[in-house]
Amino acid sequence: MQQPVVGNHRGRLTLLLAALVVAPGVYPAAQEPPAVVRGRVEIGIPVNVRRPTSAYPTRTVPAPKLAPESERRHVVVYLRDARPQPVMPMRVAVHQLNESFTPRVVAVTVGSEVEFPNDDPIYHNVFSLSRAKNFNLGRYPRGDTRRVRFDRPGVIKVFCEIHSHMSATVMVFDHPWFAVPAEDGTFELPAVPAGDRQITAWHERLGDTTLRLRVESGRSAAADFVLPVPEQ
Amino acid sequence: MRRPPRLVARTLTVTFVTVAIILSVVFIVLMVDARDRVRAAEVEKLSVAEKVFTALDARRQQEQLATIATVAENPTLKAALDTYFTESAFTGLPAEQEQSLRDTVTVEAEKLAALTGADVLAILDANGRIFVSAGPLQDRWPRNARIEIPAGTATFQDITAMPQGAFRVAGSVLSLLDRDIGALVLGTSLDANYARELSNLASADVVITVSGAVAASTAPAAVAADLVRAGNNAGDTATLNGEEYAVRRLVGSGPARIYTLASIDAAARTATRDALMALATVAFGAFVLAALGSLWLAQTLAEPIDRLSGEIAMMTASRDLRRPLHLTGSSRELDSLAEAFNELVQGLTTAEADTRAAYLGAIRALAATLDARDPYTAGHSERVSALSVLIGRHMELTAAELDVLRLGALLHDIGKIGLSDAILRKPGPLTVEEYDQLKRHPGQGARILRQVPFLAPHIPIVELHHERPDGRGYPFGLRGDEIPVAARIVHVADAFDAITSARAYRPARGTAEAIAELQRCAGTEFDPVPVEALVAVLPLSTTTLEPALQELLGRQLV
Repeated sequence: MQQPVVGNHRGRLTLLLAALVVAPGVYPAAQEPPAVVRGRVEIGIPVNVRRPTSAYPTRTVPAPKLAPESERRHVVVYLRDARPQPVMPMRVAVHQLNESFTPRVVAVTVGSEVEFPNDDPIYHNVFSLSRAKNFNLGRYPRGDTRRVRFDRPGVIKVFCEIHSHMSATVMVFDHPWFAVPAEDGTFELPAVPAGDRQITAWHERLGDTTLRLRVESGRSAAADFVLPVPEQ
Repeated sequence: MRRPPRLVARTLTVTFVTVAIILSVVFIVLMVDARDRVRAAEVEKLSVAEKVFTALDARRQQEQLATIATVAENPTLKAALDTYFTESAFTGLPAEQEQSLRDTVTVEAEKLAALTGADVLAILDANGRIFVSAGPLQDRWPRNARIEIPAGTATFQDITAMPQGAFRVAGSVLSLLDRDIGALVLGTSLDANYARELSNLASADVVITVSGAVAASTAPAAVAADLVRAGNNAGDTATLNGEEYAVRRLVGSGPARIYTLASIDAAARTATRDALMALATVAFGAFVLAALGSLWLAQTLAEPIDRLSGEIAMMTASRDLRRPLHLTGSSRELDSLAEAFNELVQGLTTAEADTRAAYLGAIRALAATLDARDPYTAGHSERVSALSVLIGRHMELTAAELDVLRLGALLHDIGKIGLSDAILRKPGPLTVEEYDQLKRHPGQGARILRQVPFLAPHIPIVELHHERPDGRGYPFGLRGDEIPVAARIVHVADAFDAITSARAYRPARGTAEAIAELQRCAGTEFDPVPVEALVAVLPLSTTTLEPALQELLGRQLV
């Protein structure tokens, strides 16, 4: 059995996966032991980046330089047809820095708390209109931090009421098979149950891209994404 | 023959014709000049209107874009929009959630629409489809209709033709830090209202065409249609629907064209009317002045002439030519006319006096010749004349009547010239035939005098001096007042002289006897009034009648 490595949260997921191993009956149809899915995400087309439109254009905050590589960090890869599993809560921080949420995309398990520390020298606000979690943390100054617990799976869009161009996405899963790729685009989904699986890469602008692949017991499977998938 | 016109009519005619000619020339010059000036003015007006419009519109668009860019920075709007599309793409939205997010966007859009006062305001999704529209004309921008968003700019403006009409659009992309989630677009409908506003601004008609069709127009439909047909060929001026128009294109981008135009003909008509009104006022004043001047001139010319002719008429009526005409002093010409007239009158008076003297001389000679045929009647006519004047003066006859009386008496027996000496000088009673011949002498005398118009006033005396108040006289047997006073006087004086003169068949009788005889016959043969007058004047010269008469005659018959 291989040790799953998902993003930066290796330690917590270890516990989670240990629990999975303890309860193998979750996939009654899949008697075979799980396998690792490794892959790589490429952004196949340049993503148009527009300078932020603002009625007050010049500020102390420099315009963000987004290298194409960093766009890969705005992708979440997950197992599409996974059944809900008991999962361990995580703790993730989304900083407010240079009038933007950093990181802009995070993926967490159900029950996790996300912290929103304000690292800018100005006030920020954090709110969401999303169904999965509807909240407003109010306005708070530098050094302050507020946290939100996400108890339902889904996608949550987070905004700042003061700075209309700021947004972040929190994806909440009720299973452990998800990952945010590293800067080089590589990702790894550990302990994926064997069988025919659908792996989805979601990008906040480019939407969903789904691959079908057969996961065989004891062998690692490859899932390479080029986003977006050209229409056929 | 037609009477010549009055002086005032002539002066009025001359001044009026002069004024009319001057006014006509001014009118023609005005008409020719007015149109050229109006054309230049209208073209210039539209040129100014275009500049004003361009400047105002550029400023308005700049301000509008700034406003849009500001209101586009709406966190709630962006959050609801982004949440809506992200979540619906990820897992789909339950109806309740979808409605909630859409309502949030709608409320924000309506607030912004009210704030900007736009005809219509729309929130587009990232593909340029209308997600929510608000504003008075929101029905024209239905959901999911597409509006082109130009790439690469944060704000944009354009003219777009939608199925429900053309719009000027100005918009701003709604973006998060690094991506566009949609756009906010304000639309201004290019409809009749817009055309009207623009028309007010330009003080000229406005025609809006979209894709070669008239979308809105404040000009008549036929004019707009002609403008579309003329298209880009229209220069500064064009003939539309048969009238000349100044034309200017205000907007020429996209499918829409906005023209402003002004009718040169209509403006020329107005200018012409104004000029005509001014000219009419001037004309009225000029004619009034001309009329007053003419009347004054005619008055100053005609008044002295009227005065002169009045004096002449009075002279003619009174037959008094001795007094000269007064000089009017109004003009040299008129004064010399008056002087010439006076000289003429003087000459005439002198000539008439000469004529009169010549006539009198001739008549006296005639009378003397008659008297001389019979020694018994020598000086008879002269005496009757003198006596008649005495009687007439006593009866208070006028000087003119006395003049008539004097000559008439002198000539009263002139008709006897035709009688033969046998009858005239017959010593003894006349036969009936001879008496009949004698009775013809008054008629004969009248016939002789009728040859000389000058002697007409004396004819009654000659003809009627044998009539008697009792109607038994000759030749007509007139009675009483039918006989002129002068004839009655001469009748008395003639009888008196006949009685007091010797005849071949009887001697002269005395004055007293004669008067007694006359008084006896007064009322039948003689009029009593002259008889009494004779009685009254005779005592003055009872003894020296003859010398007194001679003296009288000598004085009066010069």
